[in-house]
Amino acid sequence: MLDVSQLRKVYGPDPNAPPAVADLSFTVAEQEFVCILGSSGCGKSTMLRCLSGLDSPTAGEVRLRDRRVTKPPEEMAFVFQDYSRSLLPWMKVRRNVSFPLRYKGVGNRAADDATEEALDAVGLAGKGDLYPWQLSGGMQQRVAIARALAYKPRVLLMDEPFASVDAQTRTGLEDLLLDVWQRYEITVLFVTHDIDEAIYLADRVLVLRAPAQIRHSTTVPLARPRDQLTTKQQPEFGQLRAELFNALDAQPAPA
Amino acid sequence: MRSSVSPAPARFTDLGIRIAGVCTVLAVFELTARTGLLPRAWFPPISEMYLELGKLAFGWPLWVEIGRTLSGWALGIGLAAVLAIPLGIALGTNNLAYRLSKAVIEFLRPVPSVALIPLAVLVYGTGLEMKTFLIAFATFWPILLQTIYGVQGVDPVAMDTARCYGLPQSARFTQIIAPSAAPFIATGLRIASAIALVLAITAELVVGAPGLGQAIIVAQSGANATRMYALIIVAGLLGWALNSCFQFVERRLLRWHPAQRGEEGR
Repeated sequence: MLDVSQLRKVYGPDPNAPPAVADLSFTVAEQEFVCILGSSGCGKSTMLRCLSGLDSPTAGEVRLRDRRVTKPPEEMAFVFQDYSRSLLPWMKVRRNVSFPLRYKGVGNRAADDATEEALDAVGLAGKGDLYPWQLSGGMQQRVAIARALAYKPRVLLMDEPFASVDAQTRTGLEDLLLDVWQRYEITVLFVTHDIDEAIYLADRVLVLRAPAQIRHSTTVPLARPRDQLTTKQQPEFGQLRAELFNALDAQPAPA
Repeated sequence: MRSSVSPAPARFTDLGIRIAGVCTVLAVFELTARTGLLPRAWFPPISEMYLELGKLAFGWPLWVEIGRTLSGWALGIGLAAVLAIPLGIALGTNNLAYRLSKAVIEFLRPVPSVALIPLAVLVYGTGLEMKTFLIAFATFWPILLQTIYGVQGVDPVAMDTARCYGLPQSARFTQIIAPSAAPFIATGLRIASAIALVLAITAELVVGAPGLGQAIIVAQSGANATRMYALIIVAGLLGWALNSCFQFVERRLLRWHPAQRGEEGR
């Protein structure tokens, strides 16, 4: 459903400058959960900006359900790492979730229903009248996820969404994400630098090297539903971790 | 959620200390005047000033003078805001326009407005128009610059969020840019309010435009020191009241802003 072909992105006017993304190609299937793993500075964020239509690629193209992406598509939602800046402090939680729906042409009634449903799905029912800054970090990121869900996307892009919460909150958010991924029947493209997180969440893990290029791709054979304790104790989990560790480690350290 | 109100005893102690401080200063002034330590003709006892103030407050003329000063204040700030806020938004969103205009702004902004009084008198006479022109010129700059900074300071992640969710240009302005810039513009208006009051009274003192400033000059030339002081106190109270009004409105409208949150959010 998401096809990336020969994607190349060079910043600045000089086309011969070193690219941030170089000849990147991959596809993501309907309702697949794909994790993109890469160390910092490898061009993950640039790649996501091109995929989401926020930036336009220098060469190559991104197609979502056979339509070329030139601006942020309606069928796509984005969850940013920096939830505290992505949530708008002057809007209460409910409006933070619902404000994009008005511009999507969703009726008031349907927008209200989608908002309450999404808040309920992320465990924030009853928090709609608070401001985001009155919530903890983990809860704020759940608001951002609720906003993405209420938008009813086909594909959800997530840019290291759990990188700035503590480990305890993080495992909770991972399980929450797997739950809503299945309930809302969406496709997820999840960018992270954490090997365990990538294995735990994904159907398939792609390892990126700088400038963003696929270095390694592996399917995750672990059964679903996954469990923070038992899944991570399986021998396959350990093997995958070693495989991905080597794939990441083998690349030269970014300058 | 924590409460931003401290326990009652601590609050009363704090209030008590403040009142004690004010009372001490008042008592010292009263004593120095009564004992003749300061010449009585120029420094009447503070109690007499407030007695005079009380008498004035019950008469109509004081309120007419306050009204005259405030009308210049309001017209000047209103005119400045109507011109500066849209221009600031335009310059804040267009980087080329900002760079083109920067040198002009930096040249005009530091001109002390009182230096324009002779020009203003020449063109507009000595009345309300002259006051309005001076105040509008002086307050235009802080409002303009604060608006530019506010618009330029919009968080790029918030703008990306708006673009991702397909907000059209107009909605990005009303939903993201305007609320982000609002605290900056509010600060600009509050600074403008203080500048405007100083200029209104200056114009009245120097040129003799009708208003509080002129009333102070009249009291002075009539050798009525007590009344002069009473009117100075009125001018001080006016500045304090205007500032409080702005702070009150900011607190209500910008409850979400970190500067107004208190201990409620981090």
